[in-house]
Amino acid sequence: MGLTAQGKDGTSAPATLSLERLSKHFRSPEGAAVKAVDDITIELSGGSFVTLLGPSGCGKTTTLRMIAGFENPTTGRIMLDGKDLVRLTPDKRGMGMVFQSYALFPHLTVHDNVAFGVQLQGKKGRELEATIDAALDLVNLHGLGSRKISELSGGQQQRVALARAMAIEPRVLLFDEPLSNLDAKLRVSLRSEIRRIQQQLGTTSVYVTHDQAEAMALSDVVVVMNAGRIEQAGPPDVVYRRPATRFVADFIGRANFLSGDVLAARGETVDISMMGEAMQIPSGGGHRAGDTAVVVARPESIRVGDGALRARVKGSTFLGSYVEYELELGDGQENMLAVDGEWMSHGIHSPGEDIAWTLVPERAYALPASPPTAD
Amino acid sequence: MTISDRQAVRDAALPRREDIPKDPNRPRWRAVDPAVIVAILVSAGFVLVAIIWPVGKVIGEAFSAEAWPIFERYLTTVQNRILLNTIMLGLTVASLGTLVAFLFAYVQVRVPAPRLVKTMIHVIALLPIVSPPFALAVAAITLFGRSGIITRDIFGLRLDIYSWPDIPFMPPAGLTIVMALTFFPIAYIMLTGMMRALDPSLDEAAANLGASRWHTFRKVSLPLLAPGIASAFLLLFVEALADLGNPLVLGGSYTVLASRMYIAIVGEYNLTAGSVLAVMLLVPALVVYFVHRYYANKSSIVSVSGKPSGRHAEIKSRPIRWLLLWTVLAIVGLIVLLYGTIVVGSFTKLLGVNHAFTLEHFEAVLFGYGFEAVTDTVTLSAIATPIAGVLGVVVAFLVVRRRFWGRGTLDFGVMLGVAIPGTIFGIGYLLAFNTPTEIFGITVFPKLTGGAAFLGGAIAIVMVFILRSAPGGLRSGTSSLQQIDPAIEEAATSLGSSQQHTFRRITLPLIRPAFLAGLIYSFARAMTAISAVIFLTTPEVRIMTAQILNEVDAARYGNAFAYCVVLIIIVLVAIGILSFLVGSRTDAEQSSGGGTWG
Repeated sequence: MGLTAQGKDGTSAPATLSLERLSKHFRSPEGAAVKAVDDITIELSGGSFVTLLGPSGCGKTTTLRMIAGFENPTTGRIMLDGKDLVRLTPDKRGMGMVFQSYALFPHLTVHDNVAFGVQLQGKKGRELEATIDAALDLVNLHGLGSRKISELSGGQQQRVALARAMAIEPRVLLFDEPLSNLDAKLRVSLRSEIRRIQQQLGTTSVYVTHDQAEAMALSDVVVVMNAGRIEQAGPPDVVYRRPATRFVADFIGRANFLSGDVLAARGETVDISMMGEAMQIPSGGGHRAGDTAVVVARPESIRVGDGALRARVKGSTFLGSYVEYELELGDGQENMLAVDGEWMSHGIHSPGEDIAWTLVPERAYALPASPPTAD
Repeated sequence: MTISDRQAVRDAALPRREDIPKDPNRPRWRAVDPAVIVAILVSAGFVLVAIIWPVGKVIGEAFSAEAWPIFERYLTTVQNRILLNTIMLGLTVASLGTLVAFLFAYVQVRVPAPRLVKTMIHVIALLPIVSPPFALAVAAITLFGRSGIITRDIFGLRLDIYSWPDIPFMPPAGLTIVMALTFFPIAYIMLTGMMRALDPSLDEAAANLGASRWHTFRKVSLPLLAPGIASAFLLLFVEALADLGNPLVLGGSYTVLASRMYIAIVGEYNLTAGSVLAVMLLVPALVVYFVHRYYANKSSIVSVSGKPSGRHAEIKSRPIRWLLLWTVLAIVGLIVLLYGTIVVGSFTKLLGVNHAFTLEHFEAVLFGYGFEAVTDTVTLSAIATPIAGVLGVVVAFLVVRRRFWGRGTLDFGVMLGVAIPGTIFGIGYLLAFNTPTEIFGITVFPKLTGGAAFLGGAIAIVMVFILRSAPGGLRSGTSSLQQIDPAIEEAATSLGSSQQHTFRRITLPLIRPAFLAGLIYSFARAMTAISAVIFLTTPEVRIMTAQILNEVDAARYGNAFAYCVVLIIIVLVAIGILSFLVGSRTDAEQSSGGGTWG
């Protein structure tokens, strides 16, 4: 018998979770009101893997804890398949959660940790054991049931936490920065394992992290949060390629921000004059001729060594497959980061050199003129 | 520098073949510091002379030829009631005390209440630590005794506090309650610490998996707290076994080993009978104490995975919240009532009889015949406190940071100072130091106890103060040192700091809060000690706690109350001065901890 994403009521379709105008206000120790989560609305379709991403204090963990039921929303609704959860206590919500601190019961064995929630569902005997075996198999911990928690490595402990959460066949899986206590290598391998298991079970999942690489590797949808609000929600490649705000562009990947004058807006693209060059750049819209636009240029959208523009090399770092340059542009522009993967063809530039460069227009992106508000 | 000089330098720098250690785990480069050797020898010497030898004398006396009939009498005849009484008292006090401690700790950690209320509960719960061990007993007699203000004057009851409710083999309720209130603070501190250390996400994980609050409490919180609860229970059990003051004042005809021992020594001057009783007390006390240590160590590793995060979920159910909070507040009320009685009684002619205001009790204590006791007690405690504090920290350092043969034994030896009931040390000192100590005909120590003792017996009293207080500093020092990464000390060494310099400049400042806690504990413990010291006071050296007992015996409750008030004030002032001198805040204050908002 395998585990499924099936709910207690027998519905086999993965659950749809939606947050409707959800807010959480705290009172800070000094007495000031803090809007930890500020009126967010989002729908998570069944079976999707959604990451809440943002710097610490952005409200992502509070949002997750409201979904789990550990915090009560100040206003708003949390709908699971059309039913409001807000009045339900955490133990009635049927959501499996994986904690940052693992939160394994240290007085119980691996087997008994996984059994804890399953027993509460009334399973006994062979059915119980089959569920536990299936859960341990899923995380590749077969045969370790009799171990004590203290006898496991950090990675194994987090697998047990994962097995424990999945064994109850939750409607939604919740992850609270589950990998942040592990070393870099383990983080990457467990990351792909979490993705594999989620795909296998098809359970709707919400994952909180501040690590943008983790978010991009795992998610169907990345929700970038800042100061309690949603800055942008979308598939990882869209968020990377077409960031809604300067914050998103800066937080996800690395970005240079160039400013230019809008010559003409053409819908999908915009004509911009930057440093004396006119370029046609994909645009987020909302521009009018005569405005100043902010153009996002990822380091890999800059071509070093030829082109009409000039810059002085301030720093160069050799990293094997590519060389990273810090370029001084002058003309009121900020310094710019560029990567050159073609160094084998034309060599490496040294600091102090004046070089030619160009921006590949179709790889750049003009931020929307006025950022749309989150709601 | 000549070539041959350079050659010599190079030769000296390179290890010769025979210098290379055979055992790669043995760090040859760490030369043994003479100061470390001196520290080991001094502390080991103290353990041998002040602890092992006197207790050995007691055991020797208890197994002498004339002791056997006494053993027989106490174990087989009707007198075996005393052993049974002692165990029953231990069990009832430990049960009630642990329950009260658990309630207080649970309310502190899990029940929402205004910060001010929680701080008040905390401070009042700690009051018994800084007051003489039977202060509450005396107040209880005044309020609830045969002519008690509450029992007789208000409710018209003729309640005999020394025996009520007269259940066979059960201790008087008054004695049990007063002892539970006297000893529960230690258990309360232990349990509060444990509950705070529990990772709150464990509760959340259980709830998340579908467990109700009650199920979570039974299946997760309680099993995790079980070693701590067991440890607290056993500690209270040992304290109750060893207590002398309360059974003397409140026990009536319910005799226990400690009070019978006192009668044997002070009333009958029968050291052999005293030793027999001491051994009967020593065995259960030691066994239970070290079982307690086992559970205490076990409970200190509650959280095995990750770092605890978030804050503890508070009790949501209103009826349960109110029930817990008001039960605790009722107990707080009782404690306040008892201490209020002490304060009011110290300014009253005679509580329950003549309620006229008077300062005569304070006059007697501060300027009359009590003056000597106050100065003697403060002086001897002040001498013992720094010695005990340093001994505790130095032994902690040696045990945690140095590897030497007998390390565990040294730790164990110092801990015997609290594991062994004080009465046993009292008898042991009378046996060991009542004559000048001679080795091969040379006097090593003069006569330290009894009449005409050297310095009126002050040295023996200071030694007892030290041995009773050092374990506190040892424990707080050990746990504090274990949390400091040895790499910090190694960094200092690599920068050219000697071992002593590192200890003084790096280690000591880092464990300063623990050192301060050790000093405060030492002073409070010395000032309020009674069980050993009562056997060692002489007409030349008076000790306040012993004086209080005299006043109670003579029914001069006003004076007894005045002594208690003065003693409590001295301890509180000393805590203030120590905190100021060592320059750190007391660890009595605490934070309720803010949440982490992602």
